[in-house]
Amino acid sequence: MTAAGFRRGLVAALPFLLSNGAAGLVMGLTYKGLGLGAEHAILFSLLVYSATAQAITLSMWAHPLPVVAMVVACIATNSRYLLMGAHLRQLFGGLAPRKVLPTLFQLADASWLMTSSDADRNGPDAGYLLGSSIPMAIGWVGGTALAYAAPLAANEPLRLAATLLPTMFIATLLPSQWKNVRSLWPWLTSAVAALLVARFVDPSWSMLIGGGCGTLVSMMEPKDA
Amino acid sequence: MHDLKVLGVICILGVTCYVMRASGYVLAASMRDDGIAARFLQLAPGNLFIAFIVGGCLSGGLAGFVGTVVALATMAITAREWAALGAGFGAALAASALGL
Repeated sequence: MTAAGFRRGLVAALPFLLSNGAAGLVMGLTYKGLGLGAEHAILFSLLVYSATAQAITLSMWAHPLPVVAMVVACIATNSRYLLMGAHLRQLFGGLAPRKVLPTLFQLADASWLMTSSDADRNGPDAGYLLGSSIPMAIGWVGGTALAYAAPLAANEPLRLAATLLPTMFIATLLPSQWKNVRSLWPWLTSAVAALLVARFVDPSWSMLIGGGCGTLVSMMEPKDA
Repeated sequence: MHDLKVLGVICILGVTCYVMRASGYVLAASMRDDGIAARFLQLAPGNLFIAFIVGGCLSGGLAGFVGTVVALATMAITAREWAALGAGFGAALAASALGL
């Protein structure tokens, strides 16, 4: 865990101040519409810190609150974190868990993807994970708070920024993951499987199942694809 | 709805999400470095990148797809993330304004 890695992650993740800020703002506006107080909405974004889990539990909001169903929904939608956590253990297994486990509080899809990509280029560095997590968390929680502080309404550029910037950012990391022509089949498998899962099962499972199918194809290759 | 009840639910959901984040890291300690699971994890990132992008493009519609392709192409040419994001977002906004 180095200071240089922390700085590199922090700077690289600065665009997420905007995209997570926009997404957090949309989430905050939705909470506001539901009648949730500012303190509760901010605490929700701070503690749960998961767009998928928050969106799903939001859709289940009722009187009385279906707590067990909400917990099950959180487990199901966040099961991809099991895979990400296990992969991070491979990268940071030499570090004491007390140094890494607090950082995992802010683990997100994008920070994990960025950390994996950076590990390929510069070697594993838990400082990068922490650094890249900070702008994302500030954007998300700050955006939620801004929904209560400013007289704003959701509009098209805001919705586009929230939806697209994370995807575009991860797309910019894609070239670093290309190994050779053998990457093609696993990637195609991942794309088709993700497409089918999103279309016929549930979009929140597309990353885990799509990526899993592609990885199985990678494992059939004689060398890493 | 009672404030304390809402607070309690938020805390329960927060703990659940953290347990999901930390469990994989903790459980992986018992995994063999040369086993099938370890190889799966080594090969997983690139494939998960693709699945993530496909999911994002779907939720963003055609404008999202256009923006992502432009961002990827700009990155391949310039190798600058800010340029790629700017070009991609601009293209997505333009596509959206055109009704795509």
